[in-house]
Amino acid sequence: MRSGGQANMRLLDRLRPAISNGLRELLASKVRSILSMSGIILGVASLVAMVTVVQGMVGNFRQFVDAMGGIEKITVSKEALPREQQHLADQSEGITLRDVKLLRATVPSVQYVSPEADVGWERVSRDGKEINTVVRGCTSDYLPVARRWVDQGRFLSDLDQLVRADVCVIGSAVAEDLFGANADPLGQTVKVRGRNFVVVGVLNNIESTGVSIRPSGGRSKGGGGGMWRWRNSGVYIPLETALLKFTGNDKLTGLGLRVPSAEALADAVPQITRTLLQSHNGLQDFRVDTNEETLDEFRKTESAFTLSLGGVAAISLFVGGIGIMNVMLASINERIREIGVRKSVGARASDIFLQFLAEAAVIASVGGFIGLAVSAILLAVMNFILSAVVPGGVTAALNPWVMFGGFASSVTIGLLAGVYPAVRAARLDPIEALRHE
Amino acid sequence: MSLAVLQGVRKTYRMGEEDVHALAGVDLTFEQNEFTAILGPSGSGKSTLMHILGFMDVPTSGRIQFEGEDVSALSSDRRAWYRSHRVGFIFQSFNLLPRLTVLENATLPLLYRDDFPDAASRDAAAKKALDRVGMSHRLTHRPTELSGGERQRVAIARALVGRPALILADEPTGNLDSRNVDRILQLLGELNREGIAILLVTHDLAVAAHARRIITMRDGCVQEDKRT
Repeated sequence: MRSGGQANMRLLDRLRPAISNGLRELLASKVRSILSMSGIILGVASLVAMVTVVQGMVGNFRQFVDAMGGIEKITVSKEALPREQQHLADQSEGITLRDVKLLRATVPSVQYVSPEADVGWERVSRDGKEINTVVRGCTSDYLPVARRWVDQGRFLSDLDQLVRADVCVIGSAVAEDLFGANADPLGQTVKVRGRNFVVVGVLNNIESTGVSIRPSGGRSKGGGGGMWRWRNSGVYIPLETALLKFTGNDKLTGLGLRVPSAEALADAVPQITRTLLQSHNGLQDFRVDTNEETLDEFRKTESAFTLSLGGVAAISLFVGGIGIMNVMLASINERIREIGVRKSVGARASDIFLQFLAEAAVIASVGGFIGLAVSAILLAVMNFILSAVVPGGVTAALNPWVMFGGFASSVTIGLLAGVYPAVRAARLDPIEALRHE
Repeated sequence: MSLAVLQGVRKTYRMGEEDVHALAGVDLTFEQNEFTAILGPSGSGKSTLMHILGFMDVPTSGRIQFEGEDVSALSSDRRAWYRSHRVGFIFQSFNLLPRLTVLENATLPLLYRDDFPDAASRDAAAKKALDRVGMSHRLTHRPTELSGGERQRVAIARALVGRPALILADEPTGNLDSRNVDRILQLLGELNREGIAILLVTHDLAVAAHARRIITMRDGCVQEDKRT
């Protein structure tokens, strides 16, 4: 009786010579081997390169959604009234702090409500240097809603609101432009419309690696360049200060809200809409947006890319498999006599099957390895071209799991393509095979 | 115990519309250590007889005992076991694998056996067999680098390596010059004296004369069976 363990040992004992034999056959006809591997090489290379690029796009978009406040953020903004409601415009006072209180009271899944009142696109100056940036009134809830934090100093406090203080928190790009890259802006003043504001904090710098797919991308200091620059600008003052000293009324530009999870959006959005409609006397002078729509759009693009590029890779892998099957059939035809000899000295059908299956797998794995190397070259070329087109560096890094997946699929294809030729070889009649010329 | 006992062995092939009787009822007994030649024109059934005795083929009907066991209807895996353990083949055209070295060719039957799991034990057995046929000085050569006589000696080493009870030689001297014919036949005679039964299939009377028993086949039947 043979135990399972021994049977496995036997399989290994049988595989080892089969694999070395496969390598020998591969080396014996190099040109043919390379030709038969070319399909697998291209298939693996395109599969790995495409998946890497699509993954990079996904990662880039995640960054983008995060920079927009993440998927759990809901935005309420002003909207022109629909035509049939225009004559009722005076019936609604717009978005106000009353709405903030109502939303906090009526929509339980809302964790934070950040009322925002834009002073506008203003000239901000300090010691003769001046820049143009958005000046925005907001409260302490702005940070969790926008997923921001302060790198230096503190953010606007409730006390600042209460006393309508002339303080501000500035974006890192503003800090760099007005104070220089390494200066400490805390405690200094900036001037907005002739009024002095004391800088109490600097917001975190959002990485400006642009569409980088690089996992450990280089940090560029001071928010210079890149598509996130707008996120690093802006001067943030207490909401009450903005209302009292600039806009002169209690109308808000909009609200930012945060729910704990994307799942909560489905309930929260209609609740918010109902509450606001009620407080605005039924007038649709606002709109409620989520990042989910953007994300949905992106998901569609992503799956379109995955399908079409994955389809290309799948087709080339399939063609690669056919190439291997073809070369295996040709090789078996040339070696019918060898099969006869092996059978005459005691090879079973399963030994012959294993030998040719191993040979196909060896061809496919060597092809897979070369394909991985080609994909690395392909990505290097793509990165080079992309970084020339988009300054700031667009790089796609090879993910070991993607490489492993590409290699595994080439071995799988090789095994599948080898089955039919191997079965044919195993079924040959030894007497006929020995007579074959 | 006889090496092999054949009783009413028939082998019928279907060729188009008609049945061809390659063996039309053969009764033969082969003793251990016997040196037998099978003579006969082509189509007489001598090759079919050799293939059945060598576990390459199964009879259509009849009984065969090999070393006391009934082997009339073995599975193909079981026949493969007999080919790698109990019999060895020598062919007219040598049938060495051209990509393998002399040593690798001689180890080939051991690759398909359970009792030689490591390369070292296979190599040792193959070297011993090559030594026996006087080919141990050519271990790393390829078959194409050898003369016909040398190739046939490597083929004999391959047949020998599994310590078989029976070596089946199918026109082993057909492709050799007279000097090498003598040498190969002498070698087969020596192996026979060392205890291996030899079954020599030929249509050459001079070659058959080396055997101590000559069976003449005609039309699938034994025509003559004489011992010298």
